[in-house]
Parts: sequence; C-alpha cells; structure tokens
Amino acid sequence: MASRPAGLGRRSGVLAVGVVIALLVVFPVIRLGYVVWTEGSGHLDEVFGGPGLGEAVTNTLLLAVAVTAVAVPLGAAVALGLRRTDVPGRRWWRFSMLLPVLVPQFVLGYSWTQAYARAGFTDTVFGLPWPSVLGPWGVWAVLVVNTVPLTYLLTAVGLATRAEPDLERAARASGAGAAAVLREVTLPLLRPSLAAASVLSFVLTLESFAIPQVMGTPAGFSTVTTTIYRDLSLGSDPLSFVEAITLALLLVAITVLVVVPADLWLGPRLRVNRVADSAGAPIVTPRGAAGRWIAGGLGVYLLLGVIVPLVALVTTAMTPAVGVSRSPANWTLDNFAAVVNSRTTDALARSALLALIAATLLTLLGGCVAVLERGRAGRAMASLVTLTLVLPGSTLAVALLIAYGRWIGGTLTLILLAYLAKLWAFAHRPISGALDRLPPGELQAARASGAGALTAVRTVALRPLAPALLAAWLVCFVTALHEVTMSSLLYGPGSETLAVVVLNSAELGRVGLTAALSVLLTLVMLVPALPAWLLIRWLRSPRRACDAAPVGRLSHAG
Amino acid sequence: MLRGMKAVARARFSRGRFALLMPLALLPLACDASASGGSDADSITLYTCVSDESVQPIIEQFEADSGAEVNLFRAPTGDLNARIAGDVRSGGLKADVVWACDPLTMQGYVDQDLVGGWTPDNATDIPEQFRTDDYVGVAVLYVVAIHRNDEPAPSSWSDLAGADYESVALPDPTVAASALGALGWFDQNPEYGLDFYATLQQNGAQQLSTPDDVVTGVAQGVYQAGITIANSAYLAKDAGSPIGVVWPEPGAVAVYGPIALANDSADSTVAQDFISYVVSESGQQVLGEAGSYPTLPGVEGPEVPVDAPVVYPDWPTITDKKDALLADYQKIFGG
Repeated sequence: MASRPAGLGRRSGVLAVGVVIALLVVFPVIRLGYVVWTEGSGHLDEVFGGPGLGEAVTNTLLLAVAVTAVAVPLGAAVALGLRRTDVPGRRWWRFSMLLPVLVPQFVLGYSWTQAYARAGFTDTVFGLPWPSVLGPWGVWAVLVVNTVPLTYLLTAVGLATRAEPDLERAARASGAGAAAVLREVTLPLLRPSLAAASVLSFVLTLESFAIPQVMGTPAGFSTVTTTIYRDLSLGSDPLSFVEAITLALLLVAITVLVVVPADLWLGPRLRVNRVADSAGAPIVTPRGAAGRWIAGGLGVYLLLGVIVPLVALVTTAMTPAVGVSRSPANWTLDNFAAVVNSRTTDALARSALLALIAATLLTLLGGCVAVLERGRAGRAMASLVTLTLVLPGSTLAVALLIAYGRWIGGTLTLILLAYLAKLWAFAHRPISGALDRLPPGELQAARASGAGALTAVRTVALRPLAPALLAAWLVCFVTALHEVTMSSLLYGPGSETLAVVVLNSAELGRVGLTAALSVLLTLVMLVPALPAWLLIRWLRSPRRACDAAPVGRLSHAG
Repeated sequence: MLRGMKAVARARFSRGRFALLMPLALLPLACDASASGGSDADSITLYTCVSDESVQPIIEQFEADSGAEVNLFRAPTGDLNARIAGDVRSGGLKADVVWACDPLTMQGYVDQDLVGGWTPDNATDIPEQFRTDDYVGVAVLYVVAIHRNDEPAPSSWSDLAGADYESVALPDPTVAASALGALGWFDQNPEYGLDFYATLQQNGAQQLSTPDDVVTGVAQGVYQAGITIANSAYLAKDAGSPIGVVWPEPGAVAVYGPIALANDSADSTVAQDFISYVVSESGQQVLGEAGSYPTLPGVEGPEVPVDAPVVYPDWPTITDKKDALLADYQKIFGG
C-alpha cells in the first residue's frame, strides 16, 4: 500500500532535480551549441584546422591520463598509509595533506615558478634550479600536487564510510598476509571511491586552466583551455568567440565519451550494499619502521610540493623589486599594503556568504543526485552534472550569461548559479562514493521502532554519511571562496567577489604584488578551513560513535 | 513496501530541505539583484581592460566633478571579449563606454556595430596616429628595450640582433597586444621585417609570455636584454631592479588604448561627457599622474627621455593580416 506514494515521491524527486539540471546544466550547454550551430557552422573546418589545435588536444588528453594515473594511486596510498596507527603525528598529517587544496590553483602554479625556475628561490639560495618547471613536466607535477589532496580525501572518506575492519581482521586471522587483505578486502570495498576520484581527477585536469597558463604557456606548451583563452584574448570578432566555444564543447564531448560509459556501465557494478555500522575498531598496527617511513615520505612531499613554493612566494612578496636580493635586510610589507584596500573587506564578506550558500546548496544537490542515480530514471544525472564541471570557467560563465544574463546579468545570483553549475559534480562524487553504505533495512527498522522520518534519516542515514557530506561541503566551500575566473567575468556593481577585488587592485604580472596577493588569498583560505576540519574530526571521534551505537544495534535487530 | 518507505524518507529529506533552504538562500542575492539593476540617467557603465590604478582616479574625479555615477567592469582583454560576446547574445552590450587596451580589439567591436560613430569635439587635440572616426586613443604603451645593468645598452633595435646579445627575451604577440603592435611595425618596416625575429631566434632569443615576464627575466639575470613596455620597465627600475631602459632607434613602438561610445548609448550625455573628460587636459593629467602615458601632447606622464624617438604601427594593416602575420611569426618562434 505504501509503495504508490513512495513511487510518486521518487518520481517527483527525479522531476525536481531534473528541472534544476535542465536549468543549470543542459540549457546553458545547449545555448553554447546553438551559438556554434548558427554562427559557426560554415567555419568549423577553420576551427578544427587551426594551427596547434591537434597538439593542444593531445597535450590535454595525455596530461589528464598522466595526472590521474599518478594522483589516484598516490592519494589512495596516503589515505591507506595514514590509517596505520604507528605513523607519528598522524592527525597532523591528515590535516596538512589538504594544504595544497587550500592554495588557489594559480597561486600554487605561480609559487612553483618562484621556487624552482631559473633565478627562483632554490637557484638563488642553493644554486639548484629546475628549468623544466616551466613546461609540461612542471604543469604535470603541480597538477598532481593539486589533485592528490582530493583523491586522498575521497579515499579517506571511502575508508571512513566503507572500511570493514572486522572483515580485514577475519582475513588476517585466516592466514592472509597484509598484501592479500589489501587486494582482496580493502581495495574492492574502496572501488566506488577510487572510481569517483579517477573521474574527478580526469575531468579536473581537462578543465584546468590556471596552472597550464602560468607554467605551460611561457614554454610554448598549450592545452585546450589555454588555446580557448588565447582565442578570446586575440580577437574581439565573432569568429574568435565561436572558435573558443567550439573548443570548450570539444572538452564536453571528450567528457561524454569517457565519463558517460563509465557512469552507466561501471557505476552500478562497483556498488555493493553493505551494513552501515562498520563494526569494530580499526586494526591497530604494531609500532614499526614503516610508520616512520610513511611520515618521512609525506614530509618530503609536502616540503617540496607546498612548503618550499610558499616560502619562495612569501620572500618574493616581501622583496621590493625583482632582481634585488631576498635577504631579510631588504624585506618590506609595501606589496601587501598595495593589494589591500577598503573594498577588500566588503568583498571578503560577500565571497564568504556566497561560498557558504553555494557549498550548502551543492551538498544538498550532490546528495539528491547520489540518491536518485540509484534508480534507472536518475542514472544519467551523474554524467550530466559532470558536463558543466569540464567546461572551462570562462566558457561556462559565458554560457550562463547568454542563458540568463538578460534578467540577472551582473548580480550575485548569476555568480551563484555559475558556482552551482560548475561544482555540482564536485559535491556529488564524494557523496556518491560513500552512499552505498546506506543500508536498505536500517531506515525501515528505525521507523518500525517508532522513529519519525526525520529522526530516522538523521540518526541512520546522516551519521554514516557525515564524513562524505562534510568533505563535499568543505571542498565546495574552499573552491567557491577562491574562485577567480567565473566571478571576474560575471560581476557587476555591488557583486565584486574577493578574487575580483584583489586581482583588479594589482595588474597581474608585477611579481611582488602578485606574490603578495597570492599569500593573502591563501591565508584567507586557512581561516574557515581550520574550524571545518576540527568539526570533521569531532564528528568522527570515538565518543560520537559510541553515542550513536544504540541505533547501530537497533539496525542489527531489524 | 520496505523499499517504498526508504524512498519516502529520502525524498522527504532531499525535497524538504531543498524547498526550505532555496528561497532563504536566494533572498539576499535577489535583493542585491534589484539594487544593481540597469543604469539610470545619471549613471553609466564602463567596460575596460585598463588597470584599476589607472582607471579608478579618473572615475573618482569625473564623479566628483559631474555628480554622475560610473559603474565599472574591469577585466583582462580575453575576459572582456568573452563578457561582451555574452552580452551581445543576451540582449545587447550592457556598457555605455568601452575603453580597450589596443586598437585591434576596439576595431573588432566597431566591425560588429557595437561601438563607434562618435568621438568628442576635443578628440582633434589628440595626434592623428592615435584616433579614427570611431574611437580616440587616451593612453599609450611604448614598446622599449631593456638590458641588465652589467650588459651593454643597445642603441637601436638592430643592436639586439647583433653579436653582443646571446639571450634576449621578448613577449608573445598572441598574449600581449603591445607585442603584436611591435611585430606589426617590424613587419611593415623594410629594414627589419620578420628577418629581425629570425635573427633574434638564431642568436638564442626566448619568447616569454607577457612584457612583465620579460622585465622579471632580465632583472633576475636570466636574460641579458629584452623587449617590453616602458611602464613595466620603469616601475621595476624605480623599485630597485638592476635594469636600464632604452628607447632604441628608430623609435619605441607606440600602441594606444582607445575609448569609444556604445552605439546603444549614442544619446547618453553622461557617457559622452565621460569620454570628453578622459580626452581633456585635466583627464589626461589624472591619467598621467596615475602612471599611464597620456596621448595629449604636453601632458606629463611617466618617464620619457628627452628627444626619445617614437614610431607608430599601421593598425588597419595589422588588423587585415593578423592571422597570416602570426602564422609566419609562429614558424619562427614555435607557438
């Protein structure tokens, strides 16, 4: 009897989310396609025959594969390594692994050039330059450093929601070695999270712009996104614009070819329904040398990937002019004073509000798609929301401007819509990777035991999903807060975001000023990230797990 | 039935929260939207790629003098092009005045009938090389040579292609319009032509991205000399960077930034007044004090050596043969 309203509920859920997807994703992409169709159909051979396009496409695809092939295993290895209880300073490492994601992309790229290029920090201080940092190798390395926190986070969330310490213990007790347990128990359980990490890593590399632009373009290394930007910069004529849009749609086509089959075919096969209550404490590792090696490896990775570049950035920001020695005698704060003005605080408040609303709505939207994609009607949703993630920021901004600019051009609402469209997949994938922990029988058991619908969802569904929801929220919040490309193209009077004000206050390219504003943008990230991380830790602490234990026992009774 | 209950719980969760939060979240933004609606009689919208430090003082002074309000959208040329292209396809250009950084970009807007057809009466005070019937140049970038202090100073452009310099840095003409202007001038000048670039390349010259990158590279000692813009070079030099600035013979290449009235705002007196003000002596003085080179003769800007030679590229020719020129250039310097 209850099945009819339930079916209706699911159908109206699919309908509601479908409408939002149509408005945020499908219509803007179709508008872009329409522009190409009406204005550029006679010129497509010129666009695709343009010099260097084949090279840019090849570079982009190779980069996406090379970054994913390294960032996913590396992130997973770090997450698994940090599970070991014998790693000294484990909690600290868990936080500091996320540092690179708090640094805006262009800042990370820029700081690497300040650290390792000729006449950079390591060259002037130790006489050790790495000239290839400008070019494909540098772009690849920084993209890996930028992506590993995300793949680590997704794997760690997967471990938090999916790991089965009891199964692992049983395997060990039955005589399996550590490698066999990893291969036969842990990794198979992690497959949905690893798939989510791979898709995100691949798509994020396809659409990455700031790092290839800062580190690749000076060395003549072009990608599809830098070619798009060049088209837009070089010509104000309609054909250049159509060329840029066509290339952006090419990225969408690549995503459709790669991600849609993966979602439709692989997605359902990777999911397994497991009991939500991950019974038993994690396996305690005996103290050994391995933990110290892991800590040492992480230390080297963070030192070279983040700390040396950031130190270089700070010394650059405090040096009055290029070519002047970086010694403390010359240090000055003038560059910082030049990039802070009265509009900065207004913009900071506006950006924080925008990021807060965007991250909250995105977590809800991501959760909706994760729930609905389990049904046949909702299965294409996951792939659809990935399409706007791959559109480069400049193109997505133009798409939304063309679609809705007539009514809400120049407002914060349009910028918010752009964030929702851009980051929907960002919120959805981590939740999706963890959702099959939601046990089929436990909600019913809770309801049968007298819990109201909200209580049942709160105590049964939200608790095992909390790490994934928080991770999704945090990633979206941080990304929205330091978003540059879309807001600087869409803003109007009264809707300047922090990045717009800071970037406009100094013409980029003047080294000291660029470094100073990069340092400030990074510091701003740390302010909200710290409490959020502490909240995640608190939610995952053993005391909370004990509080919730009665519900877990209840579920077994059901 | 069990599956149905689960779905109800989930659907309630997702839709209930969603319905609750969405209007709340959008409320402040919607207020914001209504507050910042279209421009009324006393306010205009300016689209520009000129840096904040140059454009803000001008806007402040104009607002103080006229009582009108100027809404500013400022972005690098690529983003400006994207925004305008988006505007055009969603109801029309939202700007009343467009202030571009190079004539090539502006000519593209004129060709689409977005701007032009009007220049202020005082435009005739500006030298002819810096204006057309559709727009008038209000600021100039001078492409000059720089050298590291411990390297010899070049006296002419051809010196840079001589044996003294094994590592010269130059900006990418597909990135910087000033570099494209210089490329156009060298190409149009029979004494140089594209052979100048070929010789530079054979001697070991490196193409970097922006003029600022060239200043950075030379100041850091990575390159002996380079081609860049005067503002950037003098800023670094004055801050203490160990470089010298030369206006080589036959002249620094002048690339002007033009301002134009939007066609849809042809009858806006505030927009016309703003353009007249930027062209006027007082507007040009504000611009010069803010660190740009004014186009109006006699108004002081940043440093210019006495009798510094200046040459002017022919922009209509560059506009016509841009693609072929860049293709030929890229045969020399890769892509």
